[in-house]
Amino acid sequence: MHRGRPMPISDEVYFLCMLHNIGMTAPEKSLTIEEMSRWTAVEPSKAEENLNKLLKAKYVEERIISGIKKYFITADGIRKVLSMYS
Amino acid sequence: MNICMITWEYPPRVVGGIARHCEGLAKALAKMGHSIHVITLDFPGAPQYEEVEGVKIHRTSIELGHPNFIAWVFIFNHFMEKKIAMLSKDVKFDVIHIHDWLVALAGIVAKHHLKTPLVLTLHSTEIGRAFSLNNPDSYLIDGIEWWATYESKRVIVTSNSMKREVEEHFHLPQSKIDVIPNAIDISKYYVKVDREAVKRSYGIAPDDRIVLFIGRLVPQKGAEYLIKATSKIVNNHPNTRIVIVGDGWLKEHLWSLTLSIEHKHKISFLGFLSDSELIELILSSDVLVVPSIYEPFGIVALEGMAAGVPVVASNVGGLAEIIEHDRTGVLVYTGDPNSIAWGVNKILSDSNYAHWLVENAKRKVREIYNWDAVARRTVEVYEKSCGEV
Repeated sequence: MHRGRPMPISDEVYFLCMLHNIGMTAPEKSLTIEEMSRWTAVEPSKAEENLNKLLKAKYVEERIISGIKKYFITADGIRKVLSMYS
Repeated sequence: MNICMITWEYPPRVVGGIARHCEGLAKALAKMGHSIHVITLDFPGAPQYEEVEGVKIHRTSIELGHPNFIAWVFIFNHFMEKKIAMLSKDVKFDVIHIHDWLVALAGIVAKHHLKTPLVLTLHSTEIGRAFSLNNPDSYLIDGIEWWATYESKRVIVTSNSMKREVEEHFHLPQSKIDVIPNAIDISKYYVKVDREAVKRSYGIAPDDRIVLFIGRLVPQKGAEYLIKATSKIVNNHPNTRIVIVGDGWLKEHLWSLTLSIEHKHKISFLGFLSDSELIELILSSDVLVVPSIYEPFGIVALEGMAAGVPVVASNVGGLAEIIEHDRTGVLVYTGDPNSIAWGVNKILSDSNYAHWLVENAKRKVREIYNWDAVARRTVEVYEKSCGEV
């Protein structure tokens, strides 16, 4: 539930909110799945499952740095999160 | 005056109406000759500092994070406080103006530290947005809202309905509250648009008529009632397309709802659009529907009125004050798809009636809802606040 509202939010949107709040909001602030998992206390497999949905929805983007996959939230992803609290 | 405006959203960081409100007000204040500094949050692609039409915009980077939203709000407020403290070495602010609870902590700290009067614009309340205070987060937000009203010298709200809500819920003295409406820059809509090309760009047939919804996809905006009204609209006017612009946490639910209705192929979700895309789409639309179930003001209704698009809106909150039923728009029962369909069909069936509504609405927007008037009234509130810290 979101702040007692009548509709449940999906796991991936909830995960997106946490990624936003830990500051993954620009390419230079991108994190690996392991780092995300550690910061949000979400299991790596669950984190990856959510991340794939967020990538498909274009709320998250992938970048590869020195062969390592890292992720950050797009402008649309930020707006999605902020819509919950505005 | 030296004005410090604090807001968590300012273009291009646009979430709801607050960004547009702050931008319109800040530009009008700058035009009046005031020095206005906007303290806001960063956004991809936007510079840390810029001056736009006289408005000095300072974007704060948040150097720490936490998965919990409320903790994150506390953290960004702290970084805003630091930004204001740095700025205050060079600028002696006369007033601090905060917008909603999200930036209340930064505003309250600045008020006490700088010994400067605080003015709060309350655009909505937690109890209104969440429909009730039934969990710890909502209680906390409600408490911060109350605290901000207590600390502020004056509280501005955008409609009489919001004034009643704030008075009753926070037990605020009536004399502390000023009602100043939102406004709109009508000149934005003085552009020529190739309606057929705009429709084609979204996969809409040139002879289709557009029934438009613009807003965050959250329960309070009521998009689901328009979706449920679709069949009754399309049965009467088959060449109609329901177009939904915006994003939000309810999107997946609304999409599922759409898949369950008879005329699902008549509904398009366009997501978030840029300002210029939005203006072109509004100008290409035949009806704008504002089906909110909670709406302290409803700036989107003004956008339709300014653009010359007939508006169908819920008879609720600020919408009921902006729109005069059967004169400047059509008011319908809140949360009632049948009533929404009736309002839309009434407009689509009678072009003379639609034209009459539009002419009346445009006149009203020009006379009342302009930023210069709103800025003048806001300065009066600032002046009332000064000298009484």
